[in-house]
Amino acid sequence: MNFLTPWFLLGALAVAGPILFHLIRRAARERLPFSSLMFLKPAPPRATRRRKLEHLLLLLLRCLCLVALAAAFARPFLAGDNSLPVATAAGRQLIVLLDTSASMRRGGVWEEARAVAEKYIGQAGAADQVAVLTFDRQPRTLAAFAEWAAWPVDERAALARQRLASVSPSWMGTALGLALTTAAEQFPGTSPDGKPPERRDLVLISDLQEGARLDGLQGHDWPVGVRVRIERVGQKQPANAGLEILDPADNSIHVRVTNSRDSKRDKFHLAWAGVNTGVDVYLPPGETRTFTAPKLPAGMTSGVLQLSGGEGNFDNLSYYAAREVQPVKVSYLGPDSTNDPAQLLYYVQRVFPATVRRTVQVAPGGPLNDAAFAVIPGPLTPDQSATVREWLKGGKCALLVLSGASSGPTLSALLGLEEVSVTEAAGEYALLGEIDFKHPIFAPFDDPRFSDFTHIHFWKHRRWEIPPSLQARVPARFDDGSPMLAQIPVGKGFLLVLASGWTPADSQLAVSSKFPPLMERMLDWSGAGTPARAQFRTGEAIPSPVSSGGEVQWQKPDGKQVALPAGADFVETDLPGIYSALDGKVARRFAVNLPLEESRTAPLPQDELGRLGVPLGPVGGQSRVESRAYLRHAQDAEVEGRQKIWRWLIVAALAITFGEVILGGWLARRLAAAAPTP
Amino acid sequence: MPAAPPARLSEAGFVDPKALMAIRNLELRARVVVEGFWNGLHRSPYHGFSVEFTEYRPYSPGEDTRYLDWRLYARSDRYYVKRFEDETNLRCHLLVDQSRSMGYGSLTYSKSDYARTFAATLAWFLHDQGDAVGLFTFDERVRDYFPPRHRQGHLRQLMLALEREPEGRATHLGQPLRRAAELARKRGLIVLISDLLAPVDELERHLARLVAAGHELVVFQVLDPNELAFDFPRAALFQDMESRQDYFIDPGVARAEYQRQLNDHAAAVEAICRNLGFAFHRVLTGRPLELALLDFLRSRARRGKLIRRRPQRASPS
Repeated sequence: MNFLTPWFLLGALAVAGPILFHLIRRAARERLPFSSLMFLKPAPPRATRRRKLEHLLLLLLRCLCLVALAAAFARPFLAGDNSLPVATAAGRQLIVLLDTSASMRRGGVWEEARAVAEKYIGQAGAADQVAVLTFDRQPRTLAAFAEWAAWPVDERAALARQRLASVSPSWMGTALGLALTTAAEQFPGTSPDGKPPERRDLVLISDLQEGARLDGLQGHDWPVGVRVRIERVGQKQPANAGLEILDPADNSIHVRVTNSRDSKRDKFHLAWAGVNTGVDVYLPPGETRTFTAPKLPAGMTSGVLQLSGGEGNFDNLSYYAAREVQPVKVSYLGPDSTNDPAQLLYYVQRVFPATVRRTVQVAPGGPLNDAAFAVIPGPLTPDQSATVREWLKGGKCALLVLSGASSGPTLSALLGLEEVSVTEAAGEYALLGEIDFKHPIFAPFDDPRFSDFTHIHFWKHRRWEIPPSLQARVPARFDDGSPMLAQIPVGKGFLLVLASGWTPADSQLAVSSKFPPLMERMLDWSGAGTPARAQFRTGEAIPSPVSSGGEVQWQKPDGKQVALPAGADFVETDLPGIYSALDGKVARRFAVNLPLEESRTAPLPQDELGRLGVPLGPVGGQSRVESRAYLRHAQDAEVEGRQKIWRWLIVAALAITFGEVILGGWLARRLAAAAPTP
Repeated sequence: MPAAPPARLSEAGFVDPKALMAIRNLELRARVVVEGFWNGLHRSPYHGFSVEFTEYRPYSPGEDTRYLDWRLYARSDRYYVKRFEDETNLRCHLLVDQSRSMGYGSLTYSKSDYARTFAATLAWFLHDQGDAVGLFTFDERVRDYFPPRHRQGHLRQLMLALEREPEGRATHLGQPLRRAAELARKRGLIVLISDLLAPVDELERHLARLVAAGHELVVFQVLDPNELAFDFPRAALFQDMESRQDYFIDPGVARAEYQRQLNDHAAAVEAICRNLGFAFHRVLTGRPLELALLDFLRSRARRGKLIRRRPQRASPS
């Protein structure tokens, strides 16, 4: 039996307490109040009885309880269970985990980190197994254990250094949690000769900035015996401030600025590169705020916003690319006049306003091939119906407005059914009786302020039975139970069937304030007007601006050209700057920036990793003897942690205490019964 | 006065003190005891001027001429003053010991409970027959003083004062008796209810002062049965309830000496009382209160037979 913290056994000396108390109680056992002692003289108790211990069982229980508690605190363990015997172990396993995130670009930090990594590689013995990993946003293996083992023993260090020399800090963020957990999984179970490793060291060489992401560390199940040593570099670096342009929602450009916690400055200047004027911003240390960026000079659609006044310089630029206005074409498959308010087209042409994100062009009777959305106001010819059905199957979406019983053949043709009966509903007017606000088209109205549709009267509407085989979804029904709007899948696309029109003859829908957002939502939902992002972070994939057609020619900020098929995302966003995608004749620009978290370079609190359960070992610089003693202690702790004998001792102490309470109570009652009544 | 065993007395039809003490209200307890003991009026020992004629006395020059009997003067040509019986009845002071030693009790109640109930019984009894009752409660000094009155609500005040729990630390009879002698200027009856567990040196002097002031005195010594028997099964640490002093005492060894000293003390007190010409009663708390009341009445009845004499420096032996 060994003890992890044997000095707690000194607590067992407390058993002297109960023994003493049992002796003391002998002398002053019971006290009887009496009216007056004026006629009495004190008589000393007989000395022979004073040294006699009473209630030996009670005393034994009390002593046992104290001994059990002291033993529990001393953390006992059985040495025979130690599966990591130091004497017979093979060499150690070492992983050098090197931070290559953008914050390592600060002056001198990378050189310092590489020197530390080379030191560890140089210290590795012949029996040691070494792997070198780097990480920023993702961990990467620079030299795996297998490669190290395959290299000649005397060339291992040189080869590893050679690989290190080929690495330089990237422009990515820091995913420290992912890197630590991934690296810890790299440790092989045994050494090549089958012996258990002497040690498993994971050396983390990083600036440990507070902006590092620590996801996945909490509750991670660390492999047995792994100790993480932290080599913090760049501690003498000045404080830093950084900026990031946000994806613009409207015409103004907003920029988020962060100032490091250890910064001594609070005044910064924002200006576009090549422009003399700018704005001053004030930001206290440790805070992050969003400011409105200065106006981009007229005619420019992209630019570089510069932050001056900070000390660090690797993250003082943020790139901006104006979002492209996306043209959306809506095909109107009807003969209506654009100037007749009694016809549907009159309203369709006016309901889609131009925004900064897109312009909508309504093409009456226009071709379907380049249309994103289609409105079908009435019956179509069989040929037209077949064309539309094929177009829908390709993943498009159309809105069919039932104008009367004549729409039945068109509906059945579009849905690919034999016959669908459409009848004119009777009655004075109908209201919307049931609306599914969970449906994306009606979701914006899911608020008590906007969900009142009762003022919209539908003078006329058409009834039709939806065959169950269609797997239709009905977002809205009239108060007579018939569907007002039905969403029916057709191939990859959808057909929306509206059972009433929006002309004054059919309903009050067009004069309702709900009509424009409803149509806008239909357009959005169909996927036609999905606006493309223009601001990205390093490492993020940029979606392809076109989904069909030929190749898209991408150009990186350093001039490198990459050709990708249409629809393939561009993933080589490893540099901040303006990227361009050339699709035929249309060129689109995207801005890629450093993650703002990377600018928070204040050091992470020392105990943060330990708090998240990382098994921290000694920080570098220990002697071999100290390290071996530490390792032995760590192994003991590991074995003790597995056995957890202390829990049983605590349970035993509680059981003994329980017994002591019962026995003490019984004895007290017996004494009270025997004692004279005062 | 020897005390009869309480059990036998209870069997004789008196209220068992244990049952009596179970009544929480002191006033009710007193009322229970007094019922049945209404024995008629006292004869007032004093003459005054009221309606009931007693005798004639020759007029001395300088006396108030209002009380001259002019009719007798007309018949006999002599000046006589008419004397009437004073209807201001007995003025009684109850001196009740509230020291901590009175808190002792081997029964279900303490000596203090018994003494207070007895004092309340006396107060009720005397008040009921028209006497003025006053009250001193004391420990090492006088705590409460209510001069003798016979008016509505006075009895209630006395009961409230008696219901207060004892707080004193020691019993010093000298100071309270001296103070009582100062306050009770008008002659009357003084009933001292105490365990008298205090040095007797000064007791005689202070009692003599009260007697000299013309007061009639009755002393009740209230003791617990276990204070007489000192019957404890084994050695223990005894704590003085007044001084909080601890003595380790083996009762088997100390009992004989204790009883001898206690009896000597009681004999000394009794001798003082006898010398001063007033009654001394030892009451054990197990005794029915009616019997204690009877003792009181008997001592009152014998009052006329007692010879009042000056104290002669009687020794306790």
